[in-house]
Amino acid sequence: MIIERRVSGLLILATLGAALFLALLPLPDALSAIRPAIYAATVLFWVLMQPMSFGLIAAWCCGILIDVIYGTPFGEHGLALAVAGYAVIRMRELLWTFPVWQQSVLLLPVFVLYEFVLFWIDGVAGAEVNQWWRWLPVLTTAVIWPFWASILERIAEFEVG
Amino acid sequence: MRGLAEDDKTPFLGRRITPGIRIVAIAVISIILMMVDHASTSLTPVRSTLAVATQPIQMIAEMPGEVAHYLGRYFDRGQLITENEALEQKVLLLQARLQRLASLQAENERIRALLASASSLDQNVLIARILSVSPDPYRHYIKLNKGSSDGVFVGQALVDANGIMGQITDVTPLDSRAILITDANHGIPVEINRTGLQTIAQGSGKTDELRLPFLANNSDIRADDLLVTSGLGGRYPAGYPVAHVTSVVHQPGDEFLDVVANPTAHLNRGREVLLVWTSNTEAQAREDAVASEAQPQGETGAEPTAP
Repeated sequence: MIIERRVSGLLILATLGAALFLALLPLPDALSAIRPAIYAATVLFWVLMQPMSFGLIAAWCCGILIDVIYGTPFGEHGLALAVAGYAVIRMRELLWTFPVWQQSVLLLPVFVLYEFVLFWIDGVAGAEVNQWWRWLPVLTTAVIWPFWASILERIAEFEVG
Repeated sequence: MRGLAEDDKTPFLGRRITPGIRIVAIAVISIILMMVDHASTSLTPVRSTLAVATQPIQMIAEMPGEVAHYLGRYFDRGQLITENEALEQKVLLLQARLQRLASLQAENERIRALLASASSLDQNVLIARILSVSPDPYRHYIKLNKGSSDGVFVGQALVDANGIMGQITDVTPLDSRAILITDANHGIPVEINRTGLQTIAQGSGKTDELRLPFLANNSDIRADDLLVTSGLGGRYPAGYPVAHVTSVVHQPGDEFLDVVANPTAHLNRGREVLLVWTSNTEAQAREDAVASEAQPQGETGAEPTAP
């Protein structure tokens, strides 16, 4: 576990950059619809694992960046990530008791919350997408979480020694 | 494992803030930001600054596709040759047509001059490259490599070789973002080429479909009709092809026809687009600029400085 030690900000930025790269990689329409929210997963991973340095405000700033890139209302992804981050903070004692690959099930509601906030704001802003496959990224994110989180954990452990 | 109660509370002015209070504050700030962003353009500078900062990541993300594209070109010599031959034939064909067009245009100008009409057929274009398409499958946006430093402005029309593609929605100094006509939030004023009947074509959220929801049951429209821009609303230049009607369905009991059309522009293919300047749209942009410059003065109640 890397909770008790501080991971350098540079490493966090690098992982966020890598996640952003994966999130922006052009994919065909069908694949794009099930693309996991890997950037959100990375932000939530750091909220979970770095309670001392990576909090809600950092999560919010990460979301603002996505709003700029996607051209969504300013603050939409920021709010969604902060709300999901808050949920993670509330249940993190519980999450810490499980190994990374078992956390997926517990995190599923968090991913649903994240997508729901986006869905809600889209609806209010008049860009509603109300198709069932909109919710597929929730499942795919939960599926890739064990792999992605354990990769991130390895990298962080390697850095802090 | 360490005690948590202390970690979560950052000291602020001698008090400790819990995550609960912080999330409420973030929510309020976010909602205010979103409302400001929705209602006014005052956040545009912030957005464009951040957009320039994130440019490198976006370029890196586009790179694998680009590399594949160029490698494909490098190895497919045979295909290149056939492509080249086809293009040469096409150029010949188009040039023949252009000769006729030149005389037609001259004739048209003469007749227009006789009618003392101000509108002109002259239109400037600029070729822009598509940098990226929206990673969100539910928003049809593309990013172009031309920005305000090239004279691109918000509301400018975008065409490809086959028809209207969309319009510019955001401009930064180095690039711009355009919404495509198939985005579910986009509507374009069109007329049916055969009859001149005017209506609005709305995006459906699918890349190959437009809908015409405002046609009464007795409207004269059939499958295969060509829709062209009507030029109403001042955003799009008139007379560009937009879509071919694919199906016209009359649901008994409904007051409006169910009309579906297929955009003529190749929205999800190709890497280059044309940005169009018409004398009309330029005047419009100037008016907008003047209006936006005049607005703050009006709001502060200051006297406009007379020259």
